[in-house]
Amino acid sequence: MNLMSNILLNVIIAFLIGSILFGLQRKIMARIQGRPGPPVIQHLLHTLKFFIKESAFPKTAAMPFYIAITAMLCVIWVAAVIVGPVTGGSLLLIFAIYAIHKIVEHNAGSSSGSPYGKLSCVRAVYSAAAEVPLFAVLIIIYLKAGTMNITSIVNYQSLHGPLLFAIPLAALMFFVLILSKSPYSPFAITKGKDIISGYETEHFGLLRGYLMISESIAWYMLLWIFLTVFLGPLSIPAYLIGMVILTALVAFINATTPLLNPNHSVMMQVSFAFIGIVGSILLLMI
Amino acid sequence: MDKLKTISWLLLIISLLSIGYALIFNPANWIVYGISLVAIPVSILSFGLIVMAKGRKEDEEDKRREPFIGY
Repeated sequence: MNLMSNILLNVIIAFLIGSILFGLQRKIMARIQGRPGPPVIQHLLHTLKFFIKESAFPKTAAMPFYIAITAMLCVIWVAAVIVGPVTGGSLLLIFAIYAIHKIVEHNAGSSSGSPYGKLSCVRAVYSAAAEVPLFAVLIIIYLKAGTMNITSIVNYQSLHGPLLFAIPLAALMFFVLILSKSPYSPFAITKGKDIISGYETEHFGLLRGYLMISESIAWYMLLWIFLTVFLGPLSIPAYLIGMVILTALVAFINATTPLLNPNHSVMMQVSFAFIGIVGSILLLMI
Repeated sequence: MDKLKTISWLLLIISLLSIGYALIFNPANWIVYGISLVAIPVSILSFGLIVMAKGRKEDEEDKRREPFIGY
């Protein structure tokens, strides 16, 4: 297949599946809480609807940065699609993309001029401490598999079995990271409802739709990375089943846990990281 | 047509042309990566800026008269 068509196809698949999974997550959360909930395609419909909604840009926004930062989020997750499903590149690039995601959260909040956005911007910096687990996961994977290349990690797993069983605590740390990126998560302090919609508060209309496209791609990519890196070579149906199971698990946790305050959220993630790192090193030594 | 719409149309046409170029002529990989990183996000954003609804001219005065003037 032509490289460009391969990239386009993967980006469209990531967007559509990511949107549907977000819708599924809301549906499951609603059922757990005893509500009928929105249809599964609601997130996808919302994304498209925002494009034709009336849009205006706040007077207090730092133009053109206010618009450019939304494009930045899309750029990094298109890059993640290229690094992941298209080329099977390095996990270090995924880490870099994730770090830039934090910068986008920070700058989207600060560029809008809204106090809610600014609070979210401060929280984005604060929660950067919780990125320790991701870096630890990469190091543990490298120590076990001897590589950070996604294709090589998949090859390693086809010979030695899934890494999920060899380094379960690293998988748990990555799962906590996935959890922190989901809407309504106990760790989602940058988008907590106590600060309205956080850094997205002043990004409405088409810019909100644009951000939602990138977030759907991001969700798909995080699940794809988890399944690829910890469960090895999977068929397309296995990927889909795995993504649905992970989304359902996240929905269950989100529906039954409160939103933590920033201090507790960061401390809890750092505690998970500590347990994960020490435990994984001990497991590697045994 | 206002300035934003004109720029958006230009960006949309350029980004779609570059995607078409990469699809048809199959250039070197690094060029395709560059085109997809720039052209895909720009095409979505410019499309959004073109199709977004704008407030009615008659309502503009009411919006300006709001007591809330920002932070």
